[in-house]
This record gives sequence, C-alpha cells and structure tokens, in this order.
Amino acid sequence: MTASTETDRPGVGEQASERPAISRKAEELDRTWYSASGFVGWFTQVNHRMIGKRFIVTSFIFFLMAGIESLLLRTQLAVPENSFLTPDHFNQLFTMHGSTMMFFFAVPMMEGLGIYVVPLMIGTRDMAFPRLNAFGYYVYLIAGVTLYAAGFLGHAPDGGWFAYVPLTLTQYSPGLGLDFWATMITFIEISALVAAVELIVTIFKQRAPGMSLNRMPLFVWAMLVTMFMIVFAMPPLMVGSVMLALDRTVSTHFFMTSGGGEPLLWQHLFWFFGHPEVYIILVPALGVISSIVVTFARRPIFGYTAMVLSVVAIGFVAFGLWVHHMFTTGLPALGVSFFTAASVMIAVPSGVQIFCWIATLWGARLRFATPLLFVLGFFFIFVLGGLTGVMVASVPFDTQVHDTYFLVAHFHYVLIGGAVFPVFGAIYYWFPKVFGRMLNETAGKWSFVLMFVGFNMSFFPMHQLGLQGMPRRVYTYLSESGWFELSLLATIGAYVFALGVLVTAVDALLSFLRKPDAPDNPWGGDTLEWATSSPPPNYNFEDIPVVRGRWALWERGEEPAGTVVGLRSGRREVLVTTLLDAEPHAVAILPGPTIWPFLSAVAVAAGFLGFIRHPIWFPIGLLLTFVGFVGWLWPRAVGGSAEEEQAR
Amino acid sequence: MNAETRFDAGELPRLPADYRAPLWWGIVGLILVESVVFATLITSYFYLGIDQPEWPPAGTKTPDLVKPTLGTLVLMASSLPMHWADRGITRGNQTALRWGLLLSIALAVTFLVLKYIEYSEMGYRWYTHSYGSISWTIIGFHSTHVVALILKTVVVSALAWIGYFSERRSLAVKVNGIYWHFVVAVWVPLYVTLYWMPRVLK
Repeated sequence: MTASTETDRPGVGEQASERPAISRKAEELDRTWYSASGFVGWFTQVNHRMIGKRFIVTSFIFFLMAGIESLLLRTQLAVPENSFLTPDHFNQLFTMHGSTMMFFFAVPMMEGLGIYVVPLMIGTRDMAFPRLNAFGYYVYLIAGVTLYAAGFLGHAPDGGWFAYVPLTLTQYSPGLGLDFWATMITFIEISALVAAVELIVTIFKQRAPGMSLNRMPLFVWAMLVTMFMIVFAMPPLMVGSVMLALDRTVSTHFFMTSGGGEPLLWQHLFWFFGHPEVYIILVPALGVISSIVVTFARRPIFGYTAMVLSVVAIGFVAFGLWVHHMFTTGLPALGVSFFTAASVMIAVPSGVQIFCWIATLWGARLRFATPLLFVLGFFFIFVLGGLTGVMVASVPFDTQVHDTYFLVAHFHYVLIGGAVFPVFGAIYYWFPKVFGRMLNETAGKWSFVLMFVGFNMSFFPMHQLGLQGMPRRVYTYLSESGWFELSLLATIGAYVFALGVLVTAVDALLSFLRKPDAPDNPWGGDTLEWATSSPPPNYNFEDIPVVRGRWALWERGEEPAGTVVGLRSGRREVLVTTLLDAEPHAVAILPGPTIWPFLSAVAVAAGFLGFIRHPIWFPIGLLLTFVGFVGWLWPRAVGGSAEEEQAR
Repeated sequence: MNAETRFDAGELPRLPADYRAPLWWGIVGLILVESVVFATLITSYFYLGIDQPEWPPAGTKTPDLVKPTLGTLVLMASSLPMHWADRGITRGNQTALRWGLLLSIALAVTFLVLKYIEYSEMGYRWYTHSYGSISWTIIGFHSTHVVALILKTVVVSALAWIGYFSERRSLAVKVNGIYWHFVVAVWVPLYVTLYWMPRVLK
C-alpha cells in the first residue's frame, strides 16, 4: 500500500495549512467512516467523536441548569427570613442541584472526555462498540430530560441527592417526584456502565502498536481506573435504587422497618456507590491535570510509575471509605475505626500525585496559558478540600460538624476543586482539537480569576458557618443567629463564580463566529491526539501510528513516524492489539450508523417509565428492548458466507 | 523507514472467534457488571437476614429443597449441549450446533417452568415481609436473565438453522455460550443462598 510513504504526520508546532493534499486513501476512508449529519444524523451517528461531543455539550448544559439552581438557593439564603423561595421549592432545588451535578454533569462530562479523547490518544479510529456508545448517550439524554420534564410538571424529587429512607418512602414522600428520581437514577447508571465496559475494552484491545501498558498516557490510565471503579460502584446503586422504586411502587419491605426492612441498607448501598463516585469524578480529573502539566511544563512527568501506581491505589482505597458518611448512624466502633484509617490513608496516594506534579513543574519553563491556570487553581482548592477531608475522617470531629455547612464547604472544595476546575482546564486544552478553534486567552484568564475568587468567596465562609452550627438544607435562618454576613458573602461569591462560568460559555459560543484557526498541535503536546488535524477527520488517522516511547510525539522527533499498513479503507477496520504489549494480532470490523441504538434506548426507557404506573411495563419493556437489540445486532451478511465476508 | 516500526495488518485475521475479538471482552465486561449486581443482592439478603430473630420470619416456612434442587440440576445440565454446540461449530459440525442450541433452550424452559410452579405455591409474596421482598427480587432478577438468555438463543438458533454460521463465522455462538454459562453458574451461589442459608441462619 503506497499511502504509507506520505505518513509524515504534522508534528509539534506545525500549522494546519501545511498539511499535505488529501490523498485518494483519505477520500475512501472519509466515505467509509462518514455518518449522516443533520436530523437523520441525530438519531443514527455512531462515531466516537460525535458521541463524545454530545456527552460533553449535554453535560455542560446540565451544569448550567444546576448552576442556576444553586444561584436560586443562594439568593434565598442571602438574607435571614427571606421568602424568595418556599420551603418546598427549596427542597426540590437542592435535590435537583445535587442530583444533576453528580449524575447528569460530573460523570457524563468525564465519560464524554474519555469517549472523545481516549481513542485519539491511543491511536485508533473508533471505539470497540460504536453502537453501544450511541445507545449510552440516548439513555443519558432521555434520563436527564425526563427528570427535568417531570420536575417542571410538578413532580420534582425533594429528598436530597442521597434520598435517605424512610423520608423518601411513599409514607413521607407521596407523589411521583421520587418515583421519577429512583427510576431515572437506575436508568442513567446503564449509560455509565456501558461507557465503562466500552472504554475498558477499547483501552485494552485497540492501542496503537507499541503502546504497551507502561507507555500509556496518564490520562488513559486514569480513565481505565475510573471505568473499573464504575463497574464496581454503579451496580450497588442500581440495586439500591431499584429496591427504593420497588418499595414505592409494589410495596416491598426492603427499607421499611414495619416488615423487617433495614433503613440503613439504603445508606450502605448508596454510599458504597457514593464514595467511590467522588473518586470516579476526581480520577479522570487527575488524568486531565497530568496531561496539562506535562504539556505546559514541556517535560515528561516526574515519577510516571509512581503516578500510575497511586492512581490505581486511589481506585482501590476509594472502596474502603463509604462508611465515613455514616459515622453518626451508630455503627460498631471497630468498623468506624477501620473506615477512619482508610479515609486518612487515601491522602497518601493523593499526596503522591500532588508531589509528582510539583516536581514536574519545579524549575520548568512554564507556559502560563489558561489550562495551566485552572490546574494551579485546582492545586490550591483541592488541597484545602483534602485537608478538611482528613479532619472529617476523624469520628469526633465528624460527629460535631455532621450535616452542617462545614460539610457543604468540604465537599464543594473537593468537587469543584477536584472536578470543575480541571474540566474547565480540559475545555480550554482540548477545545481547539474538538472544534478547530482557539478559545480567547484573555477571556480564559478573566474566567479563571472570576471563578477562583468567586469560589473561595462563596465556600470559604461556609467552614465558619458550619462551625457556628448552621445546618445544611435549611431554607432560611433567623437574624439573631449571626449567620447573615457570611451567608451574604457566600451568595455574592456564588454570583461572581457564575459570571466566570458565563465568560467561558460566551467565549465558546463566540468562537463559532470565527473561522477555524486552530493548528494541529497548538500547545506542543506529546500525545497522539495532537498528531492529527483539528478537528480530526472522520477516520481520526489516515495511517495508524506506531508508538516508540512513553511520550509518543516528543520521542518521534525528526524521524518519519512508523505506521500500520494493510488496514482496508473500504470498510470500518480497526487494529486489535494484545493487552500488555500492544502487538497487533487481529483486525475488527466495526458497524456503521444505524437508528437501532436510539430505538433500543426508547424501548428501555418505556419499560422504566411505565413501571412507575404499572408493573406490567416490565415485561413489555423487556420485549421491546429485545426487539431493539435483535434489529441492532442482526448480522450484516445473512445469506452470504463467511468467506465472501472476508473477501469484501 | 525503520522496519520494526512498520506493521502490516493485511494478513491478520478478521473477526476471530476468540479472545482476540473485542466482543469477547465486551461479554466479559458485561459478566463482571452483572456479577457485582448479583453479589450486591446476596449481600443485601444477608444484611436483611442477619439481625432478624427468625429467618425466614415466624409463620413463613423454610423453603423446600426438592424442586429447587431438581431445577438447579436441569439448569446446570443445559450448559452441556451449549458447550457441545459451540465446540461443534468450531469444527464445522452444523448438526451439533443446531440440536445443541435447541436442547439448551428446552432445558432452560424446563427450569423456568419448575420455578413458576414452585413460586406460585409459595405462601408469601414480595409485599409480605423483607424476606419475601429479597427472595422474590433475586428469583425475579435471575429468571429475567434466563428469559433473556432463551430469547437471545432462539435468535442464534434461527441463524444456525438457516446456515449462517461456519467454522470461520462462529463468534456469536461463542459469546452467546459464554453468557449462557455465566447465567447458569451464577445460579449456584443464589441457590445456596436462597435454599440453604435459611437453614444455616436459623
């Protein structure tokens, strides 16, 4: 195949305009990997970059919605005895704020980043199961839209994002709000789980030749660990939310003490998911930070092996922490001590990460672009959140501040510091690759300063409010309580933070008025996504690259890149490599665009939503889903022989 | 160009029916997810049962052993013809494939019929008490898997009867078989939990 001679891929610093003219092979690949756009494309697209983009954009919209909810909450709390919101609306808003941020923003955003970036970073053309990818997105979208639609129709859940029983059982929470919550939370976990299996298989089996596990970029490692955590953490939540739905709809007795049920079972199942969840959000962010630190320090990471081992260690230890959410429930002292130890222990691998980054940045010629600023902001905020985390790991202290604003301050420092700042760094870092346009650096710096100042102004006073005894989730407070000044400061801070978010959102929208101007590798990054055009073509890489070191592009230097030849351009072929050493050993042929994943997602949704009304929808949903899956998986070549299929 | 950095994928096998296929790994991933679900259900069973003065609660009979044990043997037996079908098609034996799949389906249907008879005679329902809730949920969840397994295998078997599969095109049979063996194997800890544990916890 002659095309391999023109594989001098644009390297560090080269401009988009210098790309060679489109070859005939590229034209054929473009036809093969084409997906319809517009209305039809909305229901049939399967390419990973499109699905990833949808995840990212949709979750950003949910982020804005949850942000508006938090502004309403802060407005209510700005002054004592305020009547801006009714108590009912306040309950619904904080429930939706928490549920949206955790289930509909943070996890899907990280999945979207993984789905978009990982296949490019490991040098393949698409993910292992493109249709499953599309299915996961539709499930996510339907779950989010349904929950919000139900909310606007007056069926908003109001039991908090962790929906403690018995408050959330029918007896104390009549109405459909929590039914929608329980079924949609179960439903959206399907989306997380399919993305997890998909990313694990893609990372295991489709890395470019030569990218052995010990050469894998840290972002890919972080995604791999995250996806394994999802596999072990999400099923217990699904079981728990199904039990909650059953208790509410068909009167089972899982959580109701009257029939021998155990309310604490809910807390165990929820936090067995809920604590790893925090790390499911944090670990991809660690990967983002490693990518940004390496690129902007312009040198390899200090302690690659230590970084990988500590990410894996975080993945394991995260499963030994869940009971620290339940210190006040009267559990046996031995159990509580164990979980205190584990909660303190997780600071060790987290510390390894921080010190390796500092060592990488130390003495480097730093390039202070916006992505790096967000990373530096992360250091400050996340370390503070980690410190208060070690404080609340101690049982007596935790008992004192349990359910106060101290906790609210702690977990916002961890979650906004640990996820939102890195996500904004990631947006500024990968926006040029995804959309082919640079974001404005001045706007980026303003956005960072506003967000950083606003965040600390909003959440730092909450530590003090909590120590003064202000409980979380109260819709108002008396003027004699002495909480007014700090609450007002927190409210102002929230608006400043929102302004910072708005600057980025407007900047991103305005960039579409300009012509695409992004070079292939605007930041001089080392990973393979920078070796293709911005935005990448349908097929990602004209020739699958061969990797010769840990810092794929930097080690390539002036030599022409190695490539893979012999993949056919006329159908969707991707290379399958061995798990450890990434040696090629097969070729997989991926399926093309289709409407079946969408129909299957609608079928599953019908089963879940119908179940709220009547259990008969369970078998109906099962049957409809079966029909959807048969249509989806029906072989391409019924009637033809395997030999013909090989030859095509 | 350096020879060692140039791979020729032209001669590599397309869609091999073993661990080199991504779908094989996908099924392993699905099995991992489902194993966690079943493990959570078993843990919940013990969590609900361990603090009760009596398990099953007073007035509810400890489950009978005869029918469920018979059902368990039938279900475990269904893995044999499935294995036979799978091995058959990798050697090009269409007869083994076609009849193996049908025999497996027949055995799984028998298992479901036995379960149906057993549970329609049960003196308690899911709304009676927490013991009823968790038992019915576990049985319901596993039976749903068996139903899904049968539906799925009916499709594979239809493809087998129209001659779709061959030695070189057997991946669907392979992964269907792996999942079949999983649903059979996961029944064993469920069987032990549901029918033997009430005797141990008493």
